[in-house]
Amino acid sequence: MRKIIGLYIVLSTLIIFPSIQYVFAAEEPGEYLDRRVEIWNLFFRMMTVAFVVGAVVSGTLIWLIWRFRESNPKAKRTPYEKSGKW
Amino acid sequence: MGGHSNWPEWVYIGVVIALMVWVGAEAWNVERLVEHVPEDAKIIKVTGQQWFWTFEHEDGTKEIGELHVKKGVPYKFEIESKDVIHSFNIPDYVVLMDAVPGRVNTVWFLPFDEGEYPIQCREYCGLIHYNMRGTLYVEG
Repeated sequence: MRKIIGLYIVLSTLIIFPSIQYVFAAEEPGEYLDRRVEIWNLFFRMMTVAFVVGAVVSGTLIWLIWRFRESNPKAKRTPYEKSGKW
Repeated sequence: MGGHSNWPEWVYIGVVIALMVWVGAEAWNVERLVEHVPEDAKIIKVTGQQWFWTFEHEDGTKEIGELHVKKGVPYKFEIESKDVIHSFNIPDYVVLMDAVPGRVNTVWFLPFDEGEYPIQCREYCGLIHYNMRGTLYVEG
C-alpha cells in the first residue's frame, strides 16, 4: 500500500501535475480584467475563511475545556477513575 | 478505541479537506484569470539595473524612471535584469514580478484610472535599493 501511494506521489509530481498545467495553459487569450479587484477579492475571501475557521476551532476548544473540566456539575467519572485501575 | 464512536473525527477531516480543496481551487482560478494575457496587449520591455528602471515601448521609444501608458489599454511587461535580482512593483495596480538576470518574466495589467502611481523595486538589490523608484503616468 505504502509503495503504491509513493508511486502515485512520484507519478503525479513528474507527469500528472505538469500535464494538467500544460493543458490548461493552452487556452484562448484572456479577457480584460482589473487585477486589483481579482487579487484583493481573493484576499478578502481567504481572510473570511481564515477568521471563520479560527473562530470555530477556538470556540470548540473553549467549549471542550469548559464542558469537560473536572468541576463541571455534569462531569462523569471515567471507568478508570471509578475502578481506580489504569 | 473499544466501542467509542469516531464519526466526529471523520466529519472534521472531511470539512478540513473540503476547505483546502476550495481554497486551492479558488486561488488557482484567480491565478489563471490574472495570468491570462489579452491578445491585443502592448509589450513593454522593462529592464532593472542598479538602481533604476528602463522601459522600452513597442515603437522603440525608451523611458528611464518614468513610464507613460494609456488608460484602458492592456500592457504586457517583459521584465529582465542586467545585474542582480530586482522586483518590479506597481503597488496601486498589484503588479509584482521579479527581474532576474538571464531570464524574461512577464506580467500584464490594464490601467483603469488616470493619474500618477509609484513604481518601486521590491527586492533588496544593494545600497540604493530604497531609491530605485519610478513613476507610472496613466493618461487618457
